Formats: sequence, C-alpha cells, structure tokens
Amino acid sequence: MIRFENVTKVYDQKARPALDSVNLEIDRGEFAFLVGASGSGKSTFLRLVLKEDRATSGAVYVAGQNVAKISSWRVPRLRRGIGVVFQDFRLLPQKNVFANVAFAMQVIGKSRSVIRDTVPEVLKTVGLEGKEHRMPHELSGGEQQRVAIARAVVNRPGILLADEPTGNLDPTTSMGIMGVLDKINQNGTTVVMATHDDDIVNEMRKRVVELKNGVVIRDEAKALYTSMIPVVGQSRRLKDASGRDTPDAGQSGEGEGQR
Amino acid sequence: MRLAFILSEIGSGLRRNVSMVVSVILVTFVSLTFVGAAGMLQMQINQMKGYWYDKVQVAIFLCSEGSTAAGCASGPVTAEQQESLNSLLESPAVAQYINNFQYESKDEAYKHFKEQFSNSPIVDSVTPDQLPASFRINMKDPEKYQIISETFASQPGVETVIDQRQLLERLFSVMNGASLVAVSIAGVMIVCAILLIATTIRLSAFSRRRETGIMRLVGASKTVIQLPFILEGVIAAVVGAALASATLWAVAHFFLGQYMSQQYPDTAFISAGQTLILAPVLIILGGSLAGISSLLTLRRYLRV
Repeated sequence: MIRFENVTKVYDQKARPALDSVNLEIDRGEFAFLVGASGSGKSTFLRLVLKEDRATSGAVYVAGQNVAKISSWRVPRLRRGIGVVFQDFRLLPQKNVFANVAFAMQVIGKSRSVIRDTVPEVLKTVGLEGKEHRMPHELSGGEQQRVAIARAVVNRPGILLADEPTGNLDPTTSMGIMGVLDKINQNGTTVVMATHDDDIVNEMRKRVVELKNGVVIRDEAKALYTSMIPVVGQSRRLKDASGRDTPDAGQSGEGEGQR
Repeated sequence: MRLAFILSEIGSGLRRNVSMVVSVILVTFVSLTFVGAAGMLQMQINQMKGYWYDKVQVAIFLCSEGSTAAGCASGPVTAEQQESLNSLLESPAVAQYINNFQYESKDEAYKHFKEQFSNSPIVDSVTPDQLPASFRINMKDPEKYQIISETFASQPGVETVIDQRQLLERLFSVMNGASLVAVSIAGVMIVCAILLIATTIRLSAFSRRRETGIMRLVGASKTVIQLPFILEGVIAAVVGAALASATLWAVAHFFLGQYMSQQYPDTAFISAGQTLILAPVLIILGGSLAGISSLLTLRRYLRV
C-alpha cells in the first residue's frame, strides 16, 4: 500500500537529510507504528506519503502509484484515498460534530443524502453516537480526537495516517482511541501511526518501524516500543549513542512488555 | 451540492470581513466611476462632433470700419469687392468644394450675436457696426478648409478667413484633456483597488486557513478551495462596478439631461440611455480585475 524505495529527503543542504535512503513497505490492511525521537523523520515520512513534499531522491509509491508522477491537479484524488489525524485534532470550532465530519464529504461534492446516511454511521464506529450536535469545545479531548478520526475515515480512505494522535491525551483515553484505530484497521484500512507513546505500542503489539536520524534502524512485527533483543547489533549501539534517557525508556518499555 | 457549498463559503467569507469587503466595493466604485467618466466625455465629444460638424462653417469675414488687418488697408469692404467675392464663390474652381454659402450682413450678425449671448450684459455694449459682415460657407468636406483659406485670404476686402471647426477643436481638446485626467486618476485608483483586493483575499485566506487546510487533507479540488475566495473578490468588485454605472447614469440623467440641457438648450448632450452601454464594460472590467488579482494572490498565499 505504501512503498518507499531508497527515499532521501533533504530540507537543508548543509544539515543531515531528514530521511536517508529509506526502504520500507507497508502492506494493505497492515497496522504499523512509526517510532523515534523528535526529528527522526516520522513527520517527513507522513508528508511524503501525502505529497506535501517531494522526495529529494528515490520513489514513494502509494496504492501502487509513484506520487512523484501524479500531476498537481490529481493530487486531491491521492489525498481522498488517505485519511489524516493529528495530535491537535484540527476541528472547526464553529461547526458541531456532525458538521465537522460532514465537511469532509461536502468539499468533495458528496450529495446531502449520502452525507446524512454516512456520517451517523461513522460517528457510531468511533463511539460518538448521540453527540452529533455538540460543539467541539463541549467535548473532551478524547471525544474531539474521535471526531477527527471520524472525519478522516468518512470518505473510506485505504490509508489512515495518524501523527501522534494520543499526544494530547491521558493513558486511558489514549487506549480508547487506539481501540477506535484498531477497529478501523480491522475493517481493512491500512493504519500508519507515528507516536512517542511507549505504553500504547507495547500494548498493541503491532509492527514497529523505528527511525533514527532519518534511517530505519528497526522494523519488527508484533514488536515493543524498544527492541526486545537489547544486545544484538545496531539497536544497542544506537541506544548508547542516543544519550541518557534512552536506557531508562528502554527499561520501562521492556518491563511493560514482560508484564 | 458542491455549488451550494461554495455559495455558503462565499457567504461566510463576506460576512466575516465586512469592512474589507465594503472598502473593496468603495474603491472599485470610485475607480470605475472615473473610468466611466472618461468614457462619457469621449461619448460627449463624439456626440458634439456629429452635431456641430454639420453646422459649423468656414466664415470669410469682410473688412469693416475698425479692421486693422493688412487686407483692409483700403477701408471697409466696398460693394464691388463684395460682388467679386460672391462671383468667386460661385466660380466652378471654388464651387466644387462647397455645398452652399450665404451672406451674413452686419445686422444679421448682430441678431445672431444677440441670440447667442442673450443672457450676457455684453449684448448692450455691442452695436451692429462693430460686427463684421461675412460669407458663411458650408463645406462639402470640412478638411478642404485650406483651399478656401488660400483662395480668399488675399482677396481685397477680406479681413480674415476662419474655420469655425478650429474653435470647436479647442473645446474638444479641453474635453480630451479632462478625460485624460479622469483616466489617470482611474489608473491610480485601479492600482489601489487591485492591491486592496489582494490584501482582502489574503486576509480572508488567512482567517480561513483551518478550513482550507482540512479541505486539502481530505482531497478537495483546487476549484472548491479557491473559488469561494476568488468569487468573494469578484462579487465585491462587481457591486462596485454596478454602483459606478448607476452613478454615471444618474449624472447623465439628472445633471446633463435636466440641468445642463436647460442651461445650454442648443448643445447636444448624451442621453442617460447611452451611458448604459458603459455598464457592462465597467462590470466586466471590475470583475476581471478582481478575479485576476485574487487568483494571483491565492497562488502565493493559499497552498493547494
């Protein structure tokens, strides 16, 4: 569904590349975590999938298409196939829950009757039935994020990108959000989630792709936030290089995993 | 559905920055009024040309008592001189250029003078003696004035030959100057309007960046995202242009049609109906200027 072939992205010629020769394939229906410290290239990865930026070299394939070859007037069609959720929800404050979700359908020209049928259905999927007429400020953070997820998936995209969707939420609420994302994934949508949240990653036991300074240093199925094989090879070395807090994070991550 | 959506977006955009929209309307209104005023002046000039060029004539003024011109050294025109001028006018060499001519005596000249300046106190101080007699010639082709002038200027008893069209040309050049001034003011105001529209659209795009950001993410087409902004500018400009057209019509109807035509009953003024020709021109001009400037602004400030 998403394939990166030797992708390098350089923002500033003098600095190190944001992504450095990344090769990665995420299959249809997969659920993948993208983990790594700030500046490791997670957001750049998501931006390249959305064609918000062009790769400096290499090729990005989304749903079989090389995004570099998509002409600018067809980019909207690419984006209709991708839902996006952010840490800060990005709801429209003057629209109620229903209107926020319906907005995503209106702007691509869906008819009123289709909207009337689809929106309540999606709101039910994310667990917000009966809250159609609430305004965003009347909702908790978790509920707001559910609205954002509903908006991202209402047009039934094949891919859902989530950029730290639980970053602003407490652990319990985060778990609720993960339940929603998992449900969407069960329905066949490919989910790629960039996160710092080790508890969630450890709980979910999904594929984990770890980025560090623009390089993929780990790609494990059913993995934990930090590697389960602490001594072997690259990851150990990088853990040492990354400084003080990583061993701590590693310890707590492993503890979580063993529990 | 999409149309309804775009319309509602336009409505909310116009409501959100009313003051900017009003200023766009006013600036386009003023600038297009100047454009229209220049257009009206040109129409008026054409109208007067058509009206006057049929009537104006070449006048051969004959020597009178007070004449100081070189040709009048021998005193006022004599009956023989007048007779020979008359026959010269009838000779085929000259007659081929003129439609007809008539002699205007001092008394007739005085009568015309009195009519023309009926409201002015100057009439009381003028006597028939002070006005020269003349031949009034109606040319077949007014451009051939030079031939008449050359033939008659040196004839005895002729004080001077005047092409009355030149008097009008002077008036027209004043009017042309005025319309040039109007066009220059309009030019400055249009630049003003374009910049103001660009700023307004920029503000509007900025205040709705949340919405447009989401629209991009869910894959709205460029048209759906940009059209509301462009139409916002276009609508404001078209309203301004409509106001300008209405103003021009009112000027033609009330000022020219009622006031001026009473003051100068023998002048042909353009009718209010004629100014309506300007309305579509102004509306298209205003609309396209606004459309182009918003489009260029959006290309810089609204990523799609």
